[in-house]
Amino acid sequence: MGYMLNVGERSDPNVEVHKFYSGAVLAVCLLALVFQAFLHKYGRWSELIDLPLLVTIYFGVSRRNPVTGLFLGGTIGILQDALSHDNPIGMYGIAKTIIGYLASSIGGRIDTEHPLSRFALVFFFFHFHQVILAITQRVLLNHAAPMFTLRLLLDSLVTAAFAVPLFALLDRLRRTS
Amino acid sequence: MIDTYSRHRPLAWLAIVVVAQLMLLAFQIKGEHDVRLIRYWAVALVTPLERAGTWSFSKVGGAWGAYVGLRNARAENDRMRVELDQLRLRNRELESQAAEAQRLATVLNFRSAHPEAQMLAAQVIGSSADPTSHTLFINRGEHDRLRMNMGVVTPDGIVGKIVEVLPNTAQVLLINDKDSGVGALFSATRTHGVVRGSGDPEPRMEYVVNDEKVQAGDAIVTSGEDRIFPKDFPIGTVESAKPANPFQVIRVQPSARLDRLEEVLVLLTQQEVVIKKPEAAASAPASDGAAAATPAPGTTPAKAAAAKSAAGPQ
Repeated sequence: MGYMLNVGERSDPNVEVHKFYSGAVLAVCLLALVFQAFLHKYGRWSELIDLPLLVTIYFGVSRRNPVTGLFLGGTIGILQDALSHDNPIGMYGIAKTIIGYLASSIGGRIDTEHPLSRFALVFFFFHFHQVILAITQRVLLNHAAPMFTLRLLLDSLVTAAFAVPLFALLDRLRRTS
Repeated sequence: MIDTYSRHRPLAWLAIVVVAQLMLLAFQIKGEHDVRLIRYWAVALVTPLERAGTWSFSKVGGAWGAYVGLRNARAENDRMRVELDQLRLRNRELESQAAEAQRLATVLNFRSAHPEAQMLAAQVIGSSADPTSHTLFINRGEHDRLRMNMGVVTPDGIVGKIVEVLPNTAQVLLINDKDSGVGALFSATRTHGVVRGSGDPEPRMEYVVNDEKVQAGDAIVTSGEDRIFPKDFPIGTVESAKPANPFQVIRVQPSARLDRLEEVLVLLTQQEVVIKKPEAAASAPASDGAAAATPAPGTTPAKAAAAKSAAGPQ
């Protein structure tokens, strides 16, 4: 069992695809969700970082398979919705499905190994994720959710900065061939 | 084809997963009036289709109904057209019967008004095949006591006289036949003459001197000198009068419609008839048999000619 998810085909057979140790993807995703919920109990500072989003982006750009990426993102998002107390299930699911797809698609086209590119990638996906969330909430819930605020800018910067060491840590879970 | 499918397969999966989650959200989220979004969307999606379906069915149903109605209308139209033809025919029959009844009523009234004169009603059954001869046949004959030289009249005026009697039919010589002659006089001036057929539809009044003032419209009645027609029975009116040598040429418009005769009365006797006006005739009692007979006229050249004409061509 070289890898967990094997849904769909790779976007480009010439692109390098990273594989992970057995159960690593599942364990990391679960840990991200648990930490996100756990830390939430200890203060609003934890809202600065969206760990499930970071995991989605990381495995998307690493696996570089859009189908796998969108399913992984969708699953993480739905679980995040399920663990939240007021979100209807599917709100984060839709956003993370799209992020997972885009991350997998972009991962095969640009360098995602350099810390700066990772920082920029997370920064961009954070705001895109927020735009999708805002649109979904405005359309479906009729909530005037903001697409961009200074708080969101701060959140994106913190999340992107946190993503750089986190991704480096997760790189250790890659299976060397 | 396969390349296109492979290339777009991730995008298709993305669409499927996103739509599935949208459905999931719509199932959970409630909009206005506490109605789930999925219900809103379903209604919004289905209603136009239902509306279109209803519209289509109503149009198709309406068109079908119109087609069926048109077919029924066509069949009904044909049936009604046949019925209309039958009713038109029936109407013509009834009109004919009504006209006949009116004619017979006129004849009957005339007979009732003149009980002193023996008359026999007869029906015209034919006419002469010779265009120059103005005669007709009636459905009465010897078995009905008809004799030669009996006068034939209608309530409007005289028609002619019987010139041939067969067992069941008789031939009538009309007053416009060239062989016919009737003793006549002007109703106003009492000037005598003879109405003689000329072969034309209009007979002529002869033996009227040029000094006699005659105008169109003057009434001409029988003089009774021919001993065929009773005195003062209408013959016709003056149509035109022109001086000539030795007598005036006077064209007469017959009172009786000689070209449209259907029922006539045959005078069985020479009994004088006092002509009554229509309103008086209608109210006259049937027992009024003692009608005053006018005195026999004197003898004049015109009277002699009338008597000679009355003797006829037989």
